[in-house]
Amino acid sequence: MQKKRLFASFAVTALVVGSLVAASSVATAATRTVTVWSPYKGGNLDMWNAAIKRIEAANPGLSVTSVGSIDMAKSLAAINAGNGPDISVSNGNGNLGWFCGSGAWQKLNVLMAGKNGLDVKKTFTASANASAISNNNRCALPLGSEVFAFYSNKDLLAKAGFKNPPKTTTELLEYSKKLTTFNADGSIKTAGFLPWAGYYGFDMDSMWLGQMFGAKWYGGDQKAAFASDARWAKAFNWQKNFIATVYGGGDFEKGSKLLTKFVAAKGGEWGTEHDFMTGRVAMKWDANWMGPMFCTGDDWAMADKCTAKYEFEISGFPVSPELVSTNYGSGVVGQAQMGISKGSKNVKDAWIVMKALATDTKLASAWDSANGAPSSLLSKDARPAKYPAWYQPIYDVVEHPKSAYHIVKNTGEHLEEALLQNLMASWQAGDTPNLKTALADLATKVNQIVARNN
Amino acid sequence: MQLTKAMASLSPRKRGEGALAPARKKLKVPYIFIFLCMSPWLFGILFFTAYPMITSFYQSFTKFNLIDSPEWVGLDNFHRMFFEDSDFWLALKNTVWISAISIPLRITFAMFTAWVLTKPKRGSSIYRTIFFLPSMVPTVAASMVFTYIFNPAYGPINRGLEAIGIDEPPFWFMDPKWSKWGLILLGLWGIGDTMIIYLAGLLDVPKSLYEAASLEGASPWQSFRYVTLPMMTPVIFFSFVTGVIGSFQYFTQAYVASGQVNDYSHAMYFYATHIYYTAFRAYEMGYASALAWVLLVITLICTLIILKTQKRWVHYPNGSLFK
Repeated sequence: MQKKRLFASFAVTALVVGSLVAASSVATAATRTVTVWSPYKGGNLDMWNAAIKRIEAANPGLSVTSVGSIDMAKSLAAINAGNGPDISVSNGNGNLGWFCGSGAWQKLNVLMAGKNGLDVKKTFTASANASAISNNNRCALPLGSEVFAFYSNKDLLAKAGFKNPPKTTTELLEYSKKLTTFNADGSIKTAGFLPWAGYYGFDMDSMWLGQMFGAKWYGGDQKAAFASDARWAKAFNWQKNFIATVYGGGDFEKGSKLLTKFVAAKGGEWGTEHDFMTGRVAMKWDANWMGPMFCTGDDWAMADKCTAKYEFEISGFPVSPELVSTNYGSGVVGQAQMGISKGSKNVKDAWIVMKALATDTKLASAWDSANGAPSSLLSKDARPAKYPAWYQPIYDVVEHPKSAYHIVKNTGEHLEEALLQNLMASWQAGDTPNLKTALADLATKVNQIVARNN
Repeated sequence: MQLTKAMASLSPRKRGEGALAPARKKLKVPYIFIFLCMSPWLFGILFFTAYPMITSFYQSFTKFNLIDSPEWVGLDNFHRMFFEDSDFWLALKNTVWISAISIPLRITFAMFTAWVLTKPKRGSSIYRTIFFLPSMVPTVAASMVFTYIFNPAYGPINRGLEAIGIDEPPFWFMDPKWSKWGLILLGLWGIGDTMIIYLAGLLDVPKSLYEAASLEGASPWQSFRYVTLPMMTPVIFFSFVTGVIGSFQYFTQAYVASGQVNDYSHAMYFYATHIYYTAFRAYEMGYASALAWVLLVITLICTLIILKTQKRWVHYPNGSLFK
């Protein structure tokens, strides 16, 4: 009897303890929550959330809250107020310097080297690895790529007697001379190529111009290299000569004025009125995500067969002649980035989620299929099963060893890009009398900004 | 006091006497009720005005990037502003330029328009509405429309200029030499709100003064110079003060227009633009706060100077409020 009582009391105690343990584990599981803020919406958010569901399924007890349609300014404000997400996503590289440099995103070095670490060199492309670093700190993991390549109108080029896109800046000038036509009043009717700041390019024309000449943004001493790297001066002088030769008949001022008026009359960027679609311009720098529009007009979905008025071709940027063997085929490649916020209360789980999102080949291939944004992953599984042949050159540009985004430093909202763009615009308008001094001033200004923000 | 007593003795009724003048009862309202009625305003001024002002004053002496805690740097921000920041001087120069040109032009144009609108015998309300309407167009929309109108390639302004034989019309917002003039014209187009005040002022000038002037043999110019203008000085003074305050905060039109074109030379870069870029593109909140406080001081000094000088040139028929 006594034994029975003893057994019963043991059983009750065990039951109570068991329930308590179970309850506490349930409680623990409930606290394992990670919040992810992203700018995605619609179908992209659905794909993103599907990946998050897979992460939750693979990590029992981990709950991930995904919130879409949130831009970086909102994330930044929330991180500052102490109620930011565990993980936030930036659509491009521009803000990386700021988010890493200011500490809004935490350094990942320790997490990457830990037990559940990540060998980034074996996981991501070289350009993706390089572009997720700022001030020698890695604070982000890359997502899909944003590729800036060279678009040429195959029909117009063929009509002018050119079978392939130009490979060098010298060829680009020759092609443009032949492709440019003028109206009876002397104004430009159709242009070959415009090395022009502010022609559909946001703040990026100067970045693309620099890439054609292999110009570096920062030197080995981590100082701005606009003055010390002679390739910047070479690039700007090439631009000036191009404007004078192609559009001004040797007169730079005339060419500059004609181009200003030509650019002022450009067609709308988002639709069939775009100059590249109407044949008003034959060649241009542009982003991979413009490809689907150039292909089908208004349709942003990736199509196998292009239905636009003109057939076009994508290739790497033309490069300075001495760089053909090493740099031709490259372009500017950036990525969407994500990081763990300062103040995250659950860094360990945030890392699990972020690593899983960055290495999810299923997400990467679905994303690529839908958006034409090549994955940053080396794995072939990250490629879509099928993609249109005309889009293949985008992958070639991504894989080119010289394709990269420039080194980013903490200049706020990528101010160095805006400052360089201003210099390019001023130079092309003939308002910068001394290029050497202007480049030196720019370098000094950027160095001051970086020094102040560190 | 003696005057009051004298008046009281002359009064036919003493306080509380006549049936038509019942004694006023002093309302006993609890202070808590008064406070509750005022609380929305008090809340607003405390949390949306006083608190941000105090915070920004403190931050103007700090280095603050929104992420880390503000770091005290003393007067460094002000030193940087005056001795290292060329953009500060450029923005200030542009702001002084736009103030110096646009305020006199706006005053003149508004008064002239108002004067013209006093003339029609019929349909004056229709004309007034037509001139007032542009001021109701949202600033952003108006600025966008103006960048189209002044587009050097297809804008109707340049087409018109070319049609009358001007071969190389200006590139307006695309040319640093002309972009500020484009903004001035945009400002003059939306003059309606100021014009309405001038119109009210002009209609308020007593006709007897013009009649007296006419009897004295005054010419139309002399009537304007010695009757209209002095009587309008309080309105001019008002629009001058508000114009100075407004022009030092000039932002939206320039921001929109410079966003449509490539304002590489920063010809449309004004003081408020500099604050905006410093705060929300460079994320230097401490320095941006210092810039904002210097703007406040500049505006205060200008306003005080105008207030001081108004005794010499503003004519108040019923005496000045600013003594």
